[in-house]
Order: sequence, then C-alpha cells, then structure tokens
Amino acid sequence: MIADNPWVDAVARMGIVAVLLPLTVILLTWVERKVIGRLQMRLGPMRVGPYGLLQGFADTIKLLTKEDVRPHTADRWTFELAPFVVVVPVIMSIVALPLTADILVRNMTLGLFFILAVSSLSIVGFVMAGWGSDNKYALLGGVRAGAQLISYEIPLVMAVLAVAMVPQSLNLEEIVIAQSDTPFIAYQSLAFMIFAIAGLAELYRPPFDIPVAESEVVGGPFVEYSGIRWSMFQLGEFVSLVLISILGSLLFLGGWNWPWSLFDSSVPVAAQVVQMAVKASLFIFFFMWMRASLPRLRIDQMMSFCWQLLLPFAFLQIIINGLVLVYDWPNQIMIVLSGAAAAAAVYVTYRAARESGVRYEPGYQRVGSVL
Amino acid sequence: MLGTLKAIGTTLRAAFRKPVTVQYPTEKKELPHRSRGLPTLLWDFEKTEPFCTGCQVCARYCPVDCMTVTMKDNPQFAAGKSKRKKIVDKFYIDYARCMRCDICVEVCNFDAIVMNNTWTGVELSRYDRQELVMDLPELLKPHKSGQMADPFREPMGVAHSGWAPKAEEADEEANSAGSGQAPEKEGGEG
Repeated sequence: MIADNPWVDAVARMGIVAVLLPLTVILLTWVERKVIGRLQMRLGPMRVGPYGLLQGFADTIKLLTKEDVRPHTADRWTFELAPFVVVVPVIMSIVALPLTADILVRNMTLGLFFILAVSSLSIVGFVMAGWGSDNKYALLGGVRAGAQLISYEIPLVMAVLAVAMVPQSLNLEEIVIAQSDTPFIAYQSLAFMIFAIAGLAELYRPPFDIPVAESEVVGGPFVEYSGIRWSMFQLGEFVSLVLISILGSLLFLGGWNWPWSLFDSSVPVAAQVVQMAVKASLFIFFFMWMRASLPRLRIDQMMSFCWQLLLPFAFLQIIINGLVLVYDWPNQIMIVLSGAAAAAAVYVTYRAARESGVRYEPGYQRVGSVL
Repeated sequence: MLGTLKAIGTTLRAAFRKPVTVQYPTEKKELPHRSRGLPTLLWDFEKTEPFCTGCQVCARYCPVDCMTVTMKDNPQFAAGKSKRKKIVDKFYIDYARCMRCDICVEVCNFDAIVMNNTWTGVELSRYDRQELVMDLPELLKPHKSGQMADPFREPMGVAHSGWAPKAEEADEEANSAGSGQAPEKEGGEG
C-alpha cells in the first residue's frame, strides 16, 4: 500500500506505471538499435548524447510534434481508437505482473490467467487499425495480424498452462516460489521452447513480422498512421516485449530466486531486482538477436509451423505433466520426458526443413505443408 | 533448421568483431591519392606565384561552362624574377556547376589545375549558393596553405592511356610539389 485511501493508492500506482513504462520503452528503442547494430558490425546511434543514449528521447520528441494525419476516407472512430485498443490491454496486463516479491502493482490469484486474457485483446486493435485505415495494405496486414496472433496465442497459452500445472497455481508469485530450488526451464524444456518461439511470434518481430512486413504490406496496419498514434503502436510493441520477457523469466527462469538456491532463499530486494533485470534482459536480447539474424517466414510456413508442430507438442507437454502429477512420479521423470519431447520437436522441424529442399523434384511436389 | 543455427551463430560472432562504422564528420577515412574532388589551382612556391597563366584553355574546354578566367601581364616577369610573361588575373569556378569531369586538368598546358584530393574538395555544404563561386585566392588556398600537401598531377593528355609515372618521376613530382611541406601525409585533415 502506498497510501491508505484505496483510490489515492490506485492513482499513485497507475502514475508510476504510466511514467516508468514509456521511459523503459524509450530506452529499449535505443538498446534495440544498439544491439542490432553491434550484431551487424555497426555502431548504432552515436550522435545524440553519449553513445547515442538520448536518441530515444529525440525520437519521442520528433514523434510527438509530427502531424497526426487521418485519411479522409478512413472510418473515423475505428481509425482513431485502434492505437488505444492496442496499447491499453498490454499496459493493463503489466498490472498483474510481479517484478519482485514486493515490487508489484497488484498480486492477483489468477494473475497468469488475467495477463493471457487481457493481453490477447490487443489483436482487436490491429484488426480495427487495418479496417479503419481504408487501405488495402492495412487491411491485409490487419487480417494477417489477426491470423498470426490468434494462432500463436494457442501454443503460448498451452505452454504457459503446462508450467502452471506443476505448482498447481495461476498466481505468479506462487509459481516463482515453487521454483526456489530449480527453475522450471529444467522440468519444462519443451514448454520453454514453445514459449520462446510463440512469444516471438506474439511480438510480431522478425522472423515473424508477417503482419507488419515492410516489403509485403508496407507496414501492415500502421501504413496510414503517423506521429503520436503510430508511436502508440510502437509503445504497445515494446511494452509487450517487456511483458513477454518478464513473464518468461518468472515462469521459466525462476524469477527473483537464485538458481538452485545458490544463496539464502530470502533474497534482499536489490538482488531480486538485479535477478529480474538480468533474466528479463536475456529474453529481450534473445528476441533482438533473432531479429538481427533470421529472414522473414513465409505465411504458410508460419501457419503450419504453429498448427502442425507447436500446438501438438504443447499438448504433449501437458500430457507429460498430467501423467507425472497424477501418478506421483518423481520430478526427474518430467525432466527426461520433456527433454526427450523437446529433442523430438527439434528433429521433426529439422526433417521438415530438410525435406522441403527436395519437394520440387518431379513427382514429389508437395503442396501446402512444410511439415 | 541448420541454416537457422548458422545464421544466429554468424550474427553472434559478428557482434564481437570491430564495427566498420567511421564516425564521419569527426573521423575521416583517408582518401585515395587520385581522389577526384573539385578543381583547385596550384601555387608555384619557388616563384611565389600561381602556375596558371590565364590562357583560358580550361574555360574553353569546360563542358558545363563553370569557369571564368582573365589574363594580365606578369609584374614579376618585368622585374626579371619569373619566366612567365602572362599570369592569371581573375579566376572564378562555380563549384555548384562543376561536374568533376577532370577535363580542365587534362587540357591544362602548365599543370596549373588539379582535382583537390582532400576532404575540403568534397565537403561543399553552404547556406548560400553564391558562396560556391570560388575566386582566385580561394582556389589557390588548399595548395598554398599546405593543406593539400600531395596533389595528384595528371600527366597531360595521357590520363586514360594506361601511362603511369615511373618511380623516380613520381619522386621528382612529389619533391617539386612539396618544397618545405610535409610530403608524406596524403589528404590531410580538413
């Protein structure tokens, strides 16, 4: 409790979130350009401030002062409300996210459920933006966003639910406490893989940037947006990057605990913050690294990879967890089974990718599937 | 699949290599000796006068008509200090018009005009277009001030025939050009 009056308390907490999130996003845009620059043997921004540190602030001022253009054929309210529909759910889901054991906005009993339910609402915003812009590329991008985000929502939710089965709780704090000994990445390696890939797709970043592909749909739902409304989409993208990264570090990397109880389990707050920062940064670096490395997937590859590979294996993880929990097998069985299933998933993907190389030989042409 | 792993490995290895970026306005790449900037006039350090006699051959051959040259009697010839009977009086080059074709350098009978091979021959931003019309002192400045220490003098008429100066010839040229300057440093700082 910051203040005694619940209304004052709520406003204060909201203010902290509203100030800290844009600040994080402004710095993250700089971090992303720096990281991708280094991965491509460039320096990244260097001019504004030391090492270009103020680049994000300069960009923000530029975006805020730009003209807010609306095409005169656009559907006015759909067009103007779409950025809010994208941003608000993402920021709302931050509310239920514990950053450390004590630093949080609200600890919810069904926090994980709340986050998954609310953050997926932003898909509506993309479809609204696509429809409201009255632009064929925006519409195509909006439909692509709907297809991709809804598809990858399912393996993501299944992987997260598989993790939630082990501590038998949807309360994120309890999930983290259950990992005080071993982080769940050991027990749930298959779920971790699925979470990382589906999370990457949920963020519509390369190689899953099909809805916003510059060279295919010239920016997708954002074509007609400029200035402050465009930067709200950007804000939503980076906040959900933070959201997925923190969620991943809470679910799989043990949150604010030391791995394998290296030190005393009662961690001081500063150490908790450092732990969370390091673990979330690992995820963020992973997402940026993939962005710098991999080319965009084809839309059919993206869909069949989700439905034919990620989803069945997510169910497999749930079945493994169910068997181990129902028959009270030791946890080591879970490590072995999940690891074996992860290896099988890698092998299936490898085979599918290898076979796709010969599918244009006469008589062997395959249509529709990459798996 | 394996290609994916290779790709992420490649980018990770690239992250540990030295970035190739040159921070341009503060640090500059060394320009090649034959870098072709904008034409400037050379200064005869022995006679303390320009090489240019104002014969106007460059102005007549200039395809974009960016030059204006006038000639006068050389006062140093009257005093017996120089062999040049005529000397350049006024010389204007409109750098905004010049297309860097190098023809003026090729046709010059006195090797008096060269292409500036330093960064000052490239960095041209001005607030007023009129400031790009250079007069005689400004055209002589890069060489006279020693800022363009080692100009590339193209031998007349043979530039594109594959001819190259022999080692001793190149040395002589460098010596006659320098006369007190530091001839080692190519394309100095702006």
